[in-house]
Amino acid sequence: MVALEILIYGAVLSGIYALLAVGFALIFGVARVINLTHGAFYMLGAYITYALSVLLNVPLILSIIGGMAIVFLLAICLDRFIIERIRTTMINVLITTLALSLFADQVILQIFGPDNRNIPAVISDRVTLLGVDIAGQRLLSLIISVAVIATLWLIITRTRMGNALLATAQDPEAAQLMGINTGRMFMITMGIAAMMAALAGGIVGSFLTVAPEMGMLPIIKAFSIVILGGLGSIGGSIIAALLIGYLETIVAYLISFNATELVPLVVIFITLIFRPAGIFGKRRGF
Amino acid sequence: MPASILQIEDLTIYYGKALAVDGVSMMVEDGETVAVIGPNGAGKTSLLRAVAGLTPSSGRILFREKAISGLKAYEISRQGISLCPEGRRLFPELTVRQNLDLGAIMRKDHKKVKTDLENALRLFPVLKSRAGQMARSLSGGEQQMLAIGRAMMSDPELLMLDEPSMGLALMVKESISTSIVEITKAGGTILLVEQDAGMAMDISKKIYLLENGRIRLEGTAQEMAGNPHVKEAYLGIA
Repeated sequence: MVALEILIYGAVLSGIYALLAVGFALIFGVARVINLTHGAFYMLGAYITYALSVLLNVPLILSIIGGMAIVFLLAICLDRFIIERIRTTMINVLITTLALSLFADQVILQIFGPDNRNIPAVISDRVTLLGVDIAGQRLLSLIISVAVIATLWLIITRTRMGNALLATAQDPEAAQLMGINTGRMFMITMGIAAMMAALAGGIVGSFLTVAPEMGMLPIIKAFSIVILGGLGSIGGSIIAALLIGYLETIVAYLISFNATELVPLVVIFITLIFRPAGIFGKRRGF
Repeated sequence: MPASILQIEDLTIYYGKALAVDGVSMMVEDGETVAVIGPNGAGKTSLLRAVAGLTPSSGRILFREKAISGLKAYEISRQGISLCPEGRRLFPELTVRQNLDLGAIMRKDHKKVKTDLENALRLFPVLKSRAGQMARSLSGGEQQMLAIGRAMMSDPELLMLDEPSMGLALMVKESISTSIVEITKAGGTILLVEQDAGMAMDISKKIYLLENGRIRLEGTAQEMAGNPHVKEAYLGIA
């Protein structure tokens, strides 16, 4: 019974982590940018969904889409007006995106206050799957994660734009010689990744707490997943998301729920010491 | 008189305070192969990179009588100048076929792309049998062929080749030379940078000799081959 619960709850957690980590990995893979505002995009996705649906009575699904659209625009502006100028210096990118992420937390804190919020669920019923009782919304979040990541995978491997993204990731200068506007590729990548984070924020809001600092832990998780999977490797980050999602679920069931937040940190230490390139990385991340 | 396709006037390139190219002027006409020869560090690669928009420069670069200095590299590529860069710069984790397709990624004339792909594979048949292999798994000569093939896939009006013979065995070098001659015969215009002066003279009509960032000599391949300085310093004939 516990095994089945771990199987299903672990899958849900892994799906959300993958939604966050794949975008984070994509930005690094294509643009060589470690974007610490990624957690803020997740948090903003949740708050915009909350504001639209709860405060303005916009239908929930439209609210989630609205959150994604606004975060997409914010991310594109961030890339165009800030990251574009500092892209080549990793340390500048890290400090700037960290500062912006803290800034976003403060803005949200000023507007909404420190209280936890809740977003209603798209599916409020509970369902039973393999004998395990689970909130419908959790199951929905798993389905959405899988669908979104599969779509992204198809876009990258099957379309012209995907080919241009892969070329940009492997050699931006050579990609320009093919006529590819690499600056636009960086911008699109940032937009797509941010949109995925906002989607995650919008759908978890009914079963996880929505609070200004909610983006901080996920960024550490995305980081650990991407380090474990190999910086820039999308396939690696999907597998690492599964590993960490399940590891956390197992720890929650067998040890204590309070110990789960240690899992990603321990993974970061172990990976960097014993396999700095990650499972699928071709070179050291740092 | 054939029209000039590329005209470079007083091109100057600095890397920080170091002067790499110092007031170079040259011209490429439609349908001809022009070679720039010279020793390592003479500024040959910088010259091509400046035309391609990868390295900032001052002076004037005219492509079909329109100034292209200051345009981004991707814009210059879309106008019809294709650079096969130093070190080949293939996409290592993509297949041979994907690399070739990327050469044509901005094109809308899909029918012509298909025939151009067939032509490229006819020119370099080995690429056909390697189509599904990762670019990084190719030998040096095959990689060079793929790089030239990829540069041709954009159907450029001007093809620029940076040291296509670099690091290749004699046999492979000759096969690459033959292919370049084939491209010219088919009506292509080529600006070639080559350290191997003998090879450059075999396949080009006009030669510029670049030394220390300046044009020291220019002339037809025959004139250059007869020049005592070129003979001694670049052809190894005393």
